[in-house]
Amino acid sequence: MTRSIIKIKTTLLDHQIAQLSAIAIGLSLIKSVLPSPMPGVKPGIANIITLYAVYRFNFRTAIWVSILRVFATSLILGQFLSPTFMLSLTGSLLSLLTLYFSIKLPSRFFSPMSLSVLSSFAHITGQLLLVRLWLIPHASIYYLIPIYSAAALIFGLINGWITYRLLKHHNSI
Amino acid sequence: MKSRSKIFLGDSLIIFISLIFIIFAFKTFWHFETGSVVQVNFQGKTYGNFSLFQNKEMSLIGKEGESVIEIKEGRVRFAKSPCKNQYCLQQGWIHFIGQMLICIPNEVSIEVLGKTKAYDSLNY
Repeated sequence: MTRSIIKIKTTLLDHQIAQLSAIAIGLSLIKSVLPSPMPGVKPGIANIITLYAVYRFNFRTAIWVSILRVFATSLILGQFLSPTFMLSLTGSLLSLLTLYFSIKLPSRFFSPMSLSVLSSFAHITGQLLLVRLWLIPHASIYYLIPIYSAAALIFGLINGWITYRLLKHHNSI
Repeated sequence: MKSRSKIFLGDSLIIFISLIFIIFAFKTFWHFETGSVVQVNFQGKTYGNFSLFQNKEMSLIGKEGESVIEIKEGRVRFAKSPCKNQYCLQQGWIHFIGQMLICIPNEVSIEVLGKTKAYDSLNY
């Protein structure tokens, strides 16, 4: 029997993506056990890592970290391809799309707090759209828009502040 | 310190716009109107529409027994029901458009109506 060794060449960026993803997955798992007053109202603390990746590295890294986090977390929690996973994925994709545009805002005036608020609004918009189109195709879910947007603002601000402090600490801003 | 105050200028703008949106959302989507008419459905058919601005008691004899619906001072409730759970009674008075009380065992439901129909989750 011969031992076969498969070696994948990894770059430094790969390692950084892996490290950031690991932290994001950890934060996601912590989030999943937090109690919530209603489905969907939870602080998206894993977004801190996505934001951090955008500022510290580049947008490509942020995509990797965000998508890896969504897939890995759902696999760990046994929610892969379930509605929860689809909601998470839609929210993250829309959030990334928003980040892609909002990172172009002049950083002299817009701190990570702005980006965090915008992306958490995008996240909840994506989820509500999916719920409206697929899970509960009825207009009654519009009642929830005010609650979700208030939560998006509050949690977005908190996440943004944490990201801002982190980046400041690492002299990346 | 100077750059720091500048950074939060754009943030303040975003927060301000968000707040306006949230207030707007609350006003638009959490707009509850008092209804004027109650629709009574009995055994799958509309039994009748009654004005809420009257004092009235209605007795419906269904499969389980007698259900009593009471209209008083612009509100409506189940005053008596033959069912086991008594959920319809426990929900008390209703008066907003779109609100509903249902007694499944006795096949009676009442819904408050107004000029416009509000969203409900039952029609879906």
